[in-house]
Amino acid sequence: MTAASDRLELSRLVHRFGLGPKPGEYLQLLAAGIPQARAKILAHRFDPGLKALVTPPFPDLGPAPYSDPTANAAYFKEVYDQSLSLSPWWMDRMVLADYPFIERMTWFWHGHWATSIDKVQFARTMKIQNETLRTHALGNFVDMSRAMVQDGALIYWLDGEENFAFSPNENLGREFMELFTLGVGNYSQADVHQAALGFTGYDVDLWSGDVTFDSKNHDNTAVSVLGKRQVFDAVSLSDWIVSRPENAKFIARRLWFRFISTTIEPPASLAEVFKDRDISLLINTIARNPAMRRPQYSQAKSPVEWFVSASRALRVTPSKLPESTGLSWLLSSMGQYPFNPPSVGGWPYDEAWLTAAAIPYRVALATNLVQYGDLAPLTSVPKAKIVQAAADWLGVAQWSTRTERALHQAVADPARLALLALNAPEYLVNA
Amino acid sequence: MSPCDFNRRQFLKYTGAAGAATMAATFSMDDVAQAASVTPLPVGTPILVIVTLYGGNDGLNTVVPYLDPAYLSNRPDMSLDASQVLPLSDGLSLNGTMTGFQSLWAANKLAIVLGTSYPNPNLSHFSSMAIWQTGSPVEIISSGWIGRYLDGLPHDPYRAIGIDSTLTPLLAGNNRVGSMVPISGLQVPYGSLGTQLELFAASSHQDTALVADAAGSIADFYTLSSTLTPVLKNAPPTSASPLAQQLDVVANMITANVPTRVYSVSLSGFDTHADELSQQNVLVGQLSDAVTSFLTQVGATPRADDVVVMVYSEFGRRVEANGGEGTDHGTSAPVFVAGNRVAGGFYGEQPSLTQLVQGDLAVVVDFRDVYASMLEDVLGTDAGKILNNWSTKVDNLIKPVA
Repeated sequence: MTAASDRLELSRLVHRFGLGPKPGEYLQLLAAGIPQARAKILAHRFDPGLKALVTPPFPDLGPAPYSDPTANAAYFKEVYDQSLSLSPWWMDRMVLADYPFIERMTWFWHGHWATSIDKVQFARTMKIQNETLRTHALGNFVDMSRAMVQDGALIYWLDGEENFAFSPNENLGREFMELFTLGVGNYSQADVHQAALGFTGYDVDLWSGDVTFDSKNHDNTAVSVLGKRQVFDAVSLSDWIVSRPENAKFIARRLWFRFISTTIEPPASLAEVFKDRDISLLINTIARNPAMRRPQYSQAKSPVEWFVSASRALRVTPSKLPESTGLSWLLSSMGQYPFNPPSVGGWPYDEAWLTAAAIPYRVALATNLVQYGDLAPLTSVPKAKIVQAAADWLGVAQWSTRTERALHQAVADPARLALLALNAPEYLVNA
Repeated sequence: MSPCDFNRRQFLKYTGAAGAATMAATFSMDDVAQAASVTPLPVGTPILVIVTLYGGNDGLNTVVPYLDPAYLSNRPDMSLDASQVLPLSDGLSLNGTMTGFQSLWAANKLAIVLGTSYPNPNLSHFSSMAIWQTGSPVEIISSGWIGRYLDGLPHDPYRAIGIDSTLTPLLAGNNRVGSMVPISGLQVPYGSLGTQLELFAASSHQDTALVADAAGSIADFYTLSSTLTPVLKNAPPTSASPLAQQLDVVANMITANVPTRVYSVSLSGFDTHADELSQQNVLVGQLSDAVTSFLTQVGATPRADDVVVMVYSEFGRRVEANGGEGTDHGTSAPVFVAGNRVAGGFYGEQPSLTQLVQGDLAVVVDFRDVYASMLEDVLGTDAGKILNNWSTKVDNLIKPVA
């Protein structure tokens, strides 16, 4: 008999650090014991699951042929078509991966450096950012931040290409310190203004994602940011700001917030773990915190996390769902679609996802998923055990008696049982 | 908070909509009868409609000091001249797209509270919006000011409703929370699925706080759906602006006597760091059109005198344009209050464009004065309890019930 606290900890590990169990995985990991399960979930290695991944080419379309209306219309049709395949491609990755930890981390960083295709438009440029985030997702934050201040999608998103020495635009400088590296209260308005000057001179070819630097538009005079006076460029400015002790504290809190609790603060020692800006060390430390076994540290699944974990359980490949499924529309209506955050602040959390308003969309999407999904984990068990089998299949620590009562209504109909289980309160929340 | 929902370079617009028809539902006469039977809001009960403009609306290109030389000199490529504005008085005018607001002004139904913000304005979208939504400029708290209004009253999922699918912090109290309703309504699934899902609405002693919230959202869904589904059967035209669609839903609910005292709606895209004119003119035009049609719609009902609309954004923008023909984050800006019971005209005063405070417009009116007027003179509740003992308001902004 497995301890309830093991079921709880494993449920959290597999949903928060993985992206939900594949069929049979939860019971296998439970049998292996928490230390081995944790090691498997936190592994970052060659992923055989991704052999089935099909990556669209997202070719460089070059500048728009404005002078030729017919060619121009065809060009933007192509831009639009490319954009439609980007999110399904990423969600395929999340669903197919046998070792999804790296995708989970990339997903976290996407919400952190939240950039929207709604403004950037070009899937190729957004995908380049996505690959950059994946490259550094478990690496060093100094390198990640350097790469991001030179990322075409991020620069364009925050008007960096409109930021000139003769006329600075504060958008990138402010959000860089407030949302990406330091947090509110750790810089002044003067720092924002001077940092904006340090970020001047970069231009973006939106169609290719290429970033160029023009020293004529760059402020080549010394500016003073957070007490240090020198001629900065994006890289040296990023290095200086990331070297501040406030950065260790801020990033440690951001990861804790999204992986452990949005209401209970992390231990003060967590920032110390991040002193070398080693992301892997930080997240591995977080995953071993005793909070993982304590009931009060529950978190709601966001709509994408819910959809991905359901798709993994049902062996559904998002890009292969027929258009009639309404995937992008239903997820957007629930409030979350990859590459389309509502603002540079990223997505909300917890209670914000648990609204009456989201329910009809969630039920509609779950209905479509179950229709195209593989129900073998439920059809292969006897009726008397099917409710518990649903918990084991989905990686739910424990159904409440309320939910068991509801699920017992559908023991004769595995498709209905799956649909109900995916909408159960215990599945909407990560334990 | 969204940087630029569209701008000059956004040459195409896509929504990812795969067919709203999949959610369409049919309604029986029983549904309609049921809607009328839920405790209706008595006519004469005041209703507050809060419009949030996300991104920081440029107050100076909304209520325009078009005769001020400092306005023109600070914004050589993005000021509005006399031919592009609708003059009001005192050297101020409305953005030329705001013809609806001009008509409300002429009818003495539009109040403009000039120079509104709070002490030491914060130039971060997130911090400043949090300050406006919590109503707490000094202490950082997590409850919204409307959420705290709900805290003092029995649980009722109808009392405050936001038209969106994710919860706005404005409606989150310490132990009560407003309901969210999407534009397409809240149709419960038919047949046995609907019956089975409803079993999740029960609370369980085994629930953590969040699991209890998940179950509670299902309970609210069933409660709200029974009333709102027939009311919302006439879906708003999708060609309308997002704000117009939301306000259309609100108007239908008000007309159907749904017992809601506070509605929250929003419009995004005001973060105009670049190419401001082309975006902001469209957005304030949408605001003016949507609010005016909404008031016209409810104006034709017995609730004409019940409804007050308040419009705010997290901050205004810098006086001086930046190099991208846009403006960076600023401080104070006008708040609009509109409705039959509103005493139209200017309140506060236009901050000087030359005597700036740390490079930005001075703060003339504290937004808590406007909130206090809404709480006391519209919602009929003690503002001090909700706004940490705040004791002043904008006097005479709301006329007594006739």
